[in-house]
Order: sequence, then C-alpha cells, then structure tokens
Amino acid sequence: MTDVILENVGKTYPNGYHAIPSVDLSIEEGEFIVLVGPSGCGKSTLLRMVAGLESITQGELRIRDERMNDKEPAERDIAMVFQNYALYPHMTVYNNMAYGLKNRGVGKTDIEEKVSNVADMLGLTELLQRKPGQLSGGQRQRVAMGRAMVRDPKVFLFDEPLSNLDAKLRVQMRIEIRQLQRKLGTTTLYVTHDQVEAMTLADRLVVLNKGKAEQIGTPMDLYDKPATPFVASFIGSPSMNLLPANLVEQGIKLSETLILPLSHAHRGGVVWGIRPEHLEVSDEQNADFALRVQAVESLGAETLIHGALEDQSGRITSLVIRLSGPHLPEIDSLIWLIAPTKHWHVFDAITQQRL
Amino acid sequence: MIENRPWLTFVGHATLWLGVALVALPVWMALVASTHPASAFGVGHIPLWFGDAGVETWKSVLLEEAGNGIESSVTFMMLNSLVMALGITFGKIAISLLSAYAIVFFRFPFRNFCFWIIFMTLMLPVEVRIVPTYEVVANLGLLNSFTGLTLPLIASATATFLFRQCFLSIPSELVEAARIDGAGPFRFFFDILLPLTRTNIAALFVILFIYGWNQYLWPLIITTDNAYYTLVMSIKRMLSVTDGDIEWNRIMATTLLAMLPPVAVVIGMQKLFVKGLVDAEK
Repeated sequence: MTDVILENVGKTYPNGYHAIPSVDLSIEEGEFIVLVGPSGCGKSTLLRMVAGLESITQGELRIRDERMNDKEPAERDIAMVFQNYALYPHMTVYNNMAYGLKNRGVGKTDIEEKVSNVADMLGLTELLQRKPGQLSGGQRQRVAMGRAMVRDPKVFLFDEPLSNLDAKLRVQMRIEIRQLQRKLGTTTLYVTHDQVEAMTLADRLVVLNKGKAEQIGTPMDLYDKPATPFVASFIGSPSMNLLPANLVEQGIKLSETLILPLSHAHRGGVVWGIRPEHLEVSDEQNADFALRVQAVESLGAETLIHGALEDQSGRITSLVIRLSGPHLPEIDSLIWLIAPTKHWHVFDAITQQRL
Repeated sequence: MIENRPWLTFVGHATLWLGVALVALPVWMALVASTHPASAFGVGHIPLWFGDAGVETWKSVLLEEAGNGIESSVTFMMLNSLVMALGITFGKIAISLLSAYAIVFFRFPFRNFCFWIIFMTLMLPVEVRIVPTYEVVANLGLLNSFTGLTLPLIASATATFLFRQCFLSIPSELVEAARIDGAGPFRFFFDILLPLTRTNIAALFVILFIYGWNQYLWPLIITTDNAYYTLVMSIKRMLSVTDGDIEWNRIMATTLLAMLPPVAVVIGMQKLFVKGLVDAEK
C-alpha cells in the first residue's frame, strides 16, 4: 500500500527563490526512504514540507490518501527528530516523551504505559526522571527518537539526526535506527548529507541536487547505474573518477593520444567515469593507461592512490584508485591500469544523462 | 591570574571595607536616630549610639498616624506601596510577555513597526509625559485609585525588549517540535515559553519591584486621599513641618521601613536573579 505520495511538489519562497522545482515520489508503507544531497540541495526543505513546517506552494502531498497540504503539523500524524534534538530543556525525559500525548488528550495511565514501553525499548528507563541537560549526546538522541516513537505516528521524519554525534556513536545509532524502524515497520523519511549513512539505511535513496530529484532507487541501483554524473560522484567513497571525453569512431577519446576502444552509435562530448575500486593494476602490455602517483593514503584494509593520468598531450587529469590491502608505491612512479569495460559509466556531456 | 602580594591584598580589603562603611553608615545612623527622643536632634549633634526611646518611637511609627496632615499609619502606607509596587511589577511583566510573544512568534503586518513604536516609548518615561498622562487619568476618573496609581506605569519597553531578546534566543526547532507535538499558542506559551523564561522573569521582577516601590512623583500628583498615600512620597510630607520640630526619630524609622521591602525582594530572589543574568539553560 502506498503510504506517502508527493505529486509535483514544489516550493517557491515569497522572494521568488525557487527552492524545489518539482519532486514526484511515492513511498510504500514501512519503507525507509533517505533523502540525500549536498548542503543547500533542498533536502531539509522537502522534509519540512512533508512535516508541515514549510508551506507547499505547488503540487500535492498525500499521506494515506488524505491531502495534507493545508494541515497543521500536529494533524498530519507525523513525528520528527531534529538535528539538535529540540528536547524541551525544562522537562524531564518522561515529560518530554509524554508531552505530545498529553496535548492529544491521551489518558494518564495510557501515557505511562506507552512511555515506559518505549523507554524499555530504547534503554531509557533509568533516565526518565532526568532532564536533557544531564544526558550525553547519544542519550539525548535516544530521547528524541523516543519522543517520536511514543506517539506511534504514520510517518517518521528524521532531519540529519546523527550529525551531532561522534563517529563511533554515529555508526552504532545508525544500526539501531535501522533495526528499530524494521521492528516498528513505520514509514520513514530520513535526510542526510552523508552518503555512507544514506547507503546503509535506505530501502530507496532519493538523490537531490538543486531541488531536483536526480535519481530515485535502491542503494545498489544508484551505485551500479548512476543516472547522472552528479549521482555518480555523490554515491560511493572515494567518489567516482569522472573525466571529460569525446566519443569518436574508435572509442572513447580521453585525450589526443589516449583512446579506449568502444563501439557505440553515439558521437560527441561525454563524461567517462569509473569507480576507484574498479580500476585494476596490470603490466605494461595489457594496460589501458598509466598513472603517475602523487599521493598515497594507507588505511590498512585498503589503500587509496591519487595520481595523474600519464598522457602525452600534457593535460593533467587526476584519478583515484582504491586497492585492497597495503600497497606502497613510490611517489612519481608509474602504475599501469586496466579499466574493465563492464565498469564504465558514460554520460552525455550536455544532457548529463547516462548513455 | 593568581598573585600573592600581601600589600595588594591589604589595600584591596581596606578599600572594600571602606566602601562597606561608607554605604552602611547612613543606614546605621538612621537606625540609631530612630532610638532617640525627638528632642535629641535640636542640639546640633548626631548621636552615633542607641538611645533609650527606641520601643516608643517604633510603636508610634507602626501604629499611630504618621502626622503632619497624613491621617494613615506608616504600616497602612506600606501596604499601599506594596499594592502599587506589585501591581506595577505584575502588570509590566504580564503585558511585556504578551507583547514580546506577539512580536516574536506571530506574523502580522507592521510587526516590526509595532516593535519600534514600543521601543520608542523608552524615551517617554512618566516624568516626561506627566501632564498629558495626568489629564488622561483625571478624565478617566482614576485619580485617587489603585488603577490610577499603577496603570499608567505598566507599559514597559524595557521589559518587552528583554523578553523579545530572550524569546529570540529560543531555537526554532523547539518551537517546531512543540508544533508537531500539538501544542497550540496557549499551550506553547504556558508549557514551554514561561518555564524557559522563568529566571528572566525573576530578574525583571526584582528590578521592576524596586522601580514600582520607589515611585515618588506620580503618586504625589494623583493622590489627594489619605487612603492611597504611599510610603516613599509621604516621607517628604512628614519632613515639611511649618512650625515646630521635625520628628527625626520617627522619620528615620520610616525610611528604614521604606528600605525593607526592596531589600527583602533582592535577598529573597538573589539566586534566581543571578541565574537570570548569567544562565543560558536553553
């Protein structure tokens, strides 16, 4: 069953700024959707429009087949977790969680039961009488989630909830959020700028760029078949090597002297891409091209090698490769590489669409 | 910076003690003077140690008419002062909270204009607008009433400004979280805003109470009925004796009584007051 539908939803501010041109999205019940994009891409605005904190100036938002455009946030049956948690500083953890229920006229015994259930689930039982000021970042985060869960809403909205936590806690909370969401089966809309978070959490990802949905799909779809160079560079870390090139009769012409063979009807300017992990080291005879090493990042389990494409024309094109295990090539030495055709991504330079 | 220089410590402490003595001496002299008979002051020297007429003086001050044309006792006038001071304080706080709430959290046309209009009244304290204000109050038939004593002093740009700044510092996410939690304007005001500004309200209470208690000119002008005389304005009246001796002992006792409530308020609310000035709970 389709739970949330965004139909041609757009936002223009009174000053004429076109924040979101148009977004279409339908979310199945229980689905975990992540909105991801660089800062300023409109992902938070879109989330706040679903929440009712920003007005929708175009299109229609429906939750369970009910038009929500003009409903107050409280009437939409959604719950939101904010980046800075937005806990009420003068209320105890218990009251923070109970406040929304109290305002909705839920009975006292009911509230107690619901809060204690959620507190149990999140391990907050011992903290119920504390105030937010006495909690650590992770605990506050949990309370913020508890406040959302206790109401048992139709939709959860998360606005970069993990960005205030340290790296280790972030990984832990990420897993916890995923497990909780699976257990509760509540439809979730989650905003983040962190592509790792996006990839690990999402059932489906929406990559936003300048208020437009560049691509919507499962994490693996986006990784394997990015629709545009933007998605290609955004998903995956380190990001995909994207080189401007020309598609000519013989193949892809990276420079005057470097042509990778490919048969394709299309001719003209393209963007050629390959992920750092798909480049393979080989010997000189079989290699497609050579890389002049500029910097090496050893991460233990893998090594990132930054270099420039060795090219007679003198143009410098940087490239990253990712090798598993430790490697220690000399700076300024040459590495011979194969770029397997099946891992190529070719985009039209003008339309920015995948070929 | 920690320095250990005995000489400097000594000078520092000496200065502090000198300051304390300077401030406390007049209070001490008032207290001493209130224990001497009225005749003790005619001879031209000021007593520095307690006399033997203390009980008598204080009894007459607290229970008898203040004299010199004032038919009510000092106790009664203290009550009047208290009613006026509290009326002004609560009135100011209530109206400033509401106007700041409107200015910060509601979108209506000329919102900023309204704020600046309120802000401009900072330049118009009672003393400046006393004649027109008197006329308005007189036309409304509010002379000799507590409404007349308090109402014209209630509008406060300072308090509105303070609450506005205080509300502006509340993160917008908190407001949004409350909206999602289904808190309407009233609930938000009482459940979130008031508790968060509690310390600011306390700090303002102290300042405004002293302001209200010390009102002199306004009560002097609009009260002609003994039933509404306030303490601070009456001290002056007790002093202006046309013939005969000024009863310094009783006047000193009265001034001490006039000092007590502000001192009590400051001491009683000191903790909250300081918290309101330095604390950032949000």
